[in-house]
Amino acid sequence: MFGRRTPANDLADEFWANVQPGEVLLRAQGITKRFPGGVVANDHIDFEIRAQEVHALLGENGAGKTTLMSILFGLLQPDEGEIYLRGHPVRFSSPQDAIRYGIGMVHQHRKLVPAHTVLENILLGHPKARGVLNVREAAEEVAAIAEMYGFNLDLYARVWQLTEGEKQAVEIVKALYRGAHILIMDEPTSALTPVETDRLLEAIERMTANNLGVVPFITHKMPIIFRISDRVTILRRGRVVATLPTRDTNERELAQLLVGREVLFDIQKPPATPGDVVVEVEHVTARNDKGGLALNDVSFSLRAGQVLGVAGVAGNGQHELAEVLAGLRPVEHGRIRFLGRDITTASVLERWQLGIGYTPAERTEVGSIGDFTLVENVTLNYFWDERYVQNGLLNEKKLRALTESIIETYQVVTPSPDVKAKTLSGGNLQKVIMGRVLSRQPKLVIANLPAQGLDIGATEFVQRRLLDARAAGAAVILISEDLDEILMLSDIIAPMYEGRIVQLIPAEQADKETIGAMIAGGRTRANA
Amino acid sequence: MLAFFLRSLEAAMIFTFAGVGELVDQRGGVLNVGVEGIMLFGATLGFIVTKTTGSYTLGFVVGVLVGALLGLLHAFFSVTLRVDQVVSGMGIWIFGFGITTYIGSAYTGPLGLERLPTIGGLSPFFFVAVALVGVVWFVLDKTSWGLAVRSVGEAPDVADVSGISVTRIRYACTIFGGALAGFAGALYALYYNPVWNYNFLMGWGFIALALVFFSMWNPILLLGGAILFGTLWQLSLNPELLLPGLFSRYIWRTVPFIVTILVLVLISTDWFRSRWGGARPQALGEPYVKE
Repeated sequence: MFGRRTPANDLADEFWANVQPGEVLLRAQGITKRFPGGVVANDHIDFEIRAQEVHALLGENGAGKTTLMSILFGLLQPDEGEIYLRGHPVRFSSPQDAIRYGIGMVHQHRKLVPAHTVLENILLGHPKARGVLNVREAAEEVAAIAEMYGFNLDLYARVWQLTEGEKQAVEIVKALYRGAHILIMDEPTSALTPVETDRLLEAIERMTANNLGVVPFITHKMPIIFRISDRVTILRRGRVVATLPTRDTNERELAQLLVGREVLFDIQKPPATPGDVVVEVEHVTARNDKGGLALNDVSFSLRAGQVLGVAGVAGNGQHELAEVLAGLRPVEHGRIRFLGRDITTASVLERWQLGIGYTPAERTEVGSIGDFTLVENVTLNYFWDERYVQNGLLNEKKLRALTESIIETYQVVTPSPDVKAKTLSGGNLQKVIMGRVLSRQPKLVIANLPAQGLDIGATEFVQRRLLDARAAGAAVILISEDLDEILMLSDIIAPMYEGRIVQLIPAEQADKETIGAMIAGGRTRANA
Repeated sequence: MLAFFLRSLEAAMIFTFAGVGELVDQRGGVLNVGVEGIMLFGATLGFIVTKTTGSYTLGFVVGVLVGALLGLLHAFFSVTLRVDQVVSGMGIWIFGFGITTYIGSAYTGPLGLERLPTIGGLSPFFFVAVALVGVVWFVLDKTSWGLAVRSVGEAPDVADVSGISVTRIRYACTIFGGALAGFAGALYALYYNPVWNYNFLMGWGFIALALVFFSMWNPILLLGGAILFGTLWQLSLNPELLLPGLFSRYIWRTVPFIVTILVLVLISTDWFRSRWGGARPQALGEPYVKE
């Protein structure tokens, strides 16, 4: 048929008949993948998934997780090794092959069309959706599957209206409607609220009860492994380090296997020594890109040497708050004062010069220019600084020396300061961005999702640098979706929900359950 | 007065054919700003073939074929080679304008054949155009093909992992759009205004292009817009019919283009985007590169 690559009938039904509990559904043997330039992303990886089992794959960025996932889903083909499904060797030359064989994928960056309805997204590419769509019949079937796994989906809502948890549910239902027997989930709990996480775990339980196998790929958020999985396989530098039953291990052991050295989990935060008030935000209101109210009467003040932890699920105004403070978004009502000065309408450059530093969440779009070298990217924060620019001419020697010192101090792994920023890994790029901001010794640091997507080692590093800034007398505004991170680093916690700060809570009086309930607003769309 | 409205509807018919083709193209994520060039080719080659052979059928077939071929060329540039779609489309327009002027000037003058028949004073193709709008609306909204086209235009990566071939869909849409533009051009030169002279199409392809934006990518609204623009065009030719003595006809003739510019300005405002922004195919104009 026009536009479709796969044959009309899925193999799934006959192939997957009579699966026995505990049967090995998929076995990958000796999977090896080399990339041009000699990088061995996967080095003889053995891995299996049984029916009724959740088998987690744990690895840092660069450990070869993405490559393995791509091979299991047919996006890449291994140079060596075999994949067996129920004992039969199979080859996936495209994701369509993998889907036809009953492999489902739930992407971390959701693969859904935002402008289309939930139902249209689920039907897209389904072999039953041919010619004129039989919407009513499909809707009934999809609703039955959603209900079976405890998802409450509005099939006619547009995907852009959904929460992250609901989008994930759409992807899961799409894969199951397509006949998946093995579900691969990339970072399944990232960006979910605690309530949504509970619901996901329940759905996974129902899947395993139905003889499915579930393979979550996890970079950080280690506690979830103990809630979700029966077995865990740890990858390091492209190799399987160990496969363990989850109940026989603990976080410390996993972390050690993962990083190859001991990791200190609890960063000890020295007691706060609050100084003068640095920033005062008074009744600030602002709009998002779509014209909706993003910040609704937000007020707080923060002293030198304090960390304000802004907690919340994506899309509740934290991002706009960061941009308003950094001068990237206009304030509709209210005032912002910095060291007693009104900066409500001050430009970005004025704020920099006054001593505000911003590390954006979008490292590759806003935080850096991919085609610029590291020196040039560092220059972007110094092009107005008289120490580095004289009579409009950049002092390249000094800027280079500065970049080199940032690379050294912040342990950036790079062959030279002259490589393009886009060649760095996420963690290294974040270190460059943090380095160039913090080396100006700002009096206010706004860190938007500083550890998002980083592996354990880089996360720890970034968190320590923020505490260093605090110790050096800076006020730090930390925006994070990770409640553990918020609780660990903050002196004051500001849970945000629908553009408001629910309540300002001193860290010593805060606990995870209360904050979790506050950022979920006590209710979510999914269970409303 | 009746003749005025019939003539307006026939102009609308030509805008509709070219516009619906471009609309399908854009819903699939490919922008073709070279509609004018493709129409010029369809018009000129169709005109020459019909004038030489005396066969209308052959003229229309050649118009459709040359349009499809130019659509294929645009698809090759913008989908396979991933060049900037605006550059490729402008290239097709400039190419079309130059070549058709060169080969057509020898045939300057009227077609000199008996006029094609009409139904109630309207070309039968008018009814085909209306039916086509209905069919395209149905296919885009209610069938799996339409879903595939829309998904490719909104989020090609999603379509890709769902088992849709982005390349095939985009080629199909672009060739379809080209064929319809070629047909619209042939219809212009063989029926609406069967006289070849320099720049005889006078920017109708650009009006059709603007209509797609004007319609917010909805074929039904496109038909309405086509009738509005067709009427404005006729008005510009006979302004004394409605407003005698006001401005010269040359000023009136600019009106459709001024309206076009105003429409384009309007749809690029924040105000418009925040209300109707969802209508624009999100991947419009962006080549798809597999990760």
